[in-house]
Amino acid sequence: MAASCALLGAGAARSQQTAMAPPDSGLLEDWSVDSALAYYHEDGRIQAIEPVVDVAKVFADGHALNFNVTFDALSGASPNGALPSRNPQTFSSPSGKSQHQYTTAPGQLPVDPDYHDDRIAVGGNWTTPFTRLDQVTVGGKVSAEDDFFSATVNASIAHDFNEKNTTVSFGVDNEFDSIHPIGSAPVPGSEYELAEKQTGGKTKDGVGVLLGVTQVMTRNWLSEFNVSIDRFHGYLNDPYKFTSIISSAGGTTGYEYENRPDQRTRESGYWENRVAWSSQISTALSLRYMRDDWGVRSDTAQLHLRWSLSNRDRYIEPTVRWYRQTAADFYTPFILTTQKPTTEFESSDSRLAAFHAMTYGVKYAQKLPGLGGRAESEFSVRAEYYQQTLDVRTPVPTALQGLDLYPGVKAVLVQIGWRF
Amino acid sequence: MISRLIRLSVILGTMSISGCGSLGVKPWQRDVLAREDMQLDSNPIDAAVDDHLYFSKEASSGGRSFAGGGCGCN
Repeated sequence: MAASCALLGAGAARSQQTAMAPPDSGLLEDWSVDSALAYYHEDGRIQAIEPVVDVAKVFADGHALNFNVTFDALSGASPNGALPSRNPQTFSSPSGKSQHQYTTAPGQLPVDPDYHDDRIAVGGNWTTPFTRLDQVTVGGKVSAEDDFFSATVNASIAHDFNEKNTTVSFGVDNEFDSIHPIGSAPVPGSEYELAEKQTGGKTKDGVGVLLGVTQVMTRNWLSEFNVSIDRFHGYLNDPYKFTSIISSAGGTTGYEYENRPDQRTRESGYWENRVAWSSQISTALSLRYMRDDWGVRSDTAQLHLRWSLSNRDRYIEPTVRWYRQTAADFYTPFILTTQKPTTEFESSDSRLAAFHAMTYGVKYAQKLPGLGGRAESEFSVRAEYYQQTLDVRTPVPTALQGLDLYPGVKAVLVQIGWRF
Repeated sequence: MISRLIRLSVILGTMSISGCGSLGVKPWQRDVLAREDMQLDSNPIDAAVDDHLYFSKEASSGGRSFAGGGCGCN
């Protein structure tokens, strides 16, 4: 693969690097295929099966094309936002295929036990070099679920400088989402028991820009730096999440649907360094800082270490990732009755809470003889363990102390992959 | 914060564009950089699967590429 391919900075432009087959005459067998089957399992909650296929081709004139298809089948139990209680809690849920009721035992985190969703996503990118040093990539993706449809288009331009040691890229993307909550969208901030619904579907749209610089530092060191801003506007609530209303004695007196602002702007800086320490060992270290106007600040650090063996015919790649975020300004694990009626934004969605998370993973890949006219193929298997620990420090009524109010997330991901 | 990031990217960009002394290699020195493990997107499907996981569990996304998810999971 041409080294200059590595110098594409913008994410949309990077996808052409998926190609393993060399540029050739245009025969169908010159398409490279990258595929995987992932299984995701959360402790006591969601599980998902996700097959992914990406086909790509680099043409002799430098054009590149790729398509990908992803399917997700999710099932299991999904937290509804309510807090554990000393008493049983009964909910009427619209998620899944039909209205149903479920009861959560005392001390347990309320989860909708019949969550089910299927998702299919199809995307593609086309890269065109229009001078020796410039190329443009355009792409798009559509994704459909039972209650959600998304369409995204993106475009980016990349320019090489300095004997192709530097690439500056600029990309934009535009996403349009249509949400049709099962059972209709609740009125944000309304009482759960009143079941006040809004008519029709909901939409949101987002625009993002990404500026990237990729620099060959030395013969063994490649660095990439991106800044990006995106702004979403529209229906940003989770229509299935609500917040417990708690009395000062600790009893649950009701629930209120979450109510988020209708716009959000995020800014991020991302820095990745790839260093080859020897013919066998290389590392990829990435750091990310992100903040948004909801009050969330996050830091992420991820390290991949690849250890190649047997003349690069196989490799082992351990991974560790550390993440932490602050809570959104309007995050609250519960609403006290003394705070009612609330007119401000509120959400008990734990994804907007303060927490930290660790991921530990390992991958093993093995080169195999190729199929047909291909020189080789690669089989891989990887596993990851993800643990999220909430850092919520809101004082709780005495009666609720001792309950595991914020259990966090423990999840395992196993994936097999095949490239040819 | 974003102004600091932009300043840093401008500095990096200026260093690069000016061909700052020791940065970069000659075309015949790209043997290591051509290795598959030195490509910025050496495992795009792994990255996509991980991004989907983190998008559905965390408030942040993107950075390496665009932040949108195209998923109703968050």
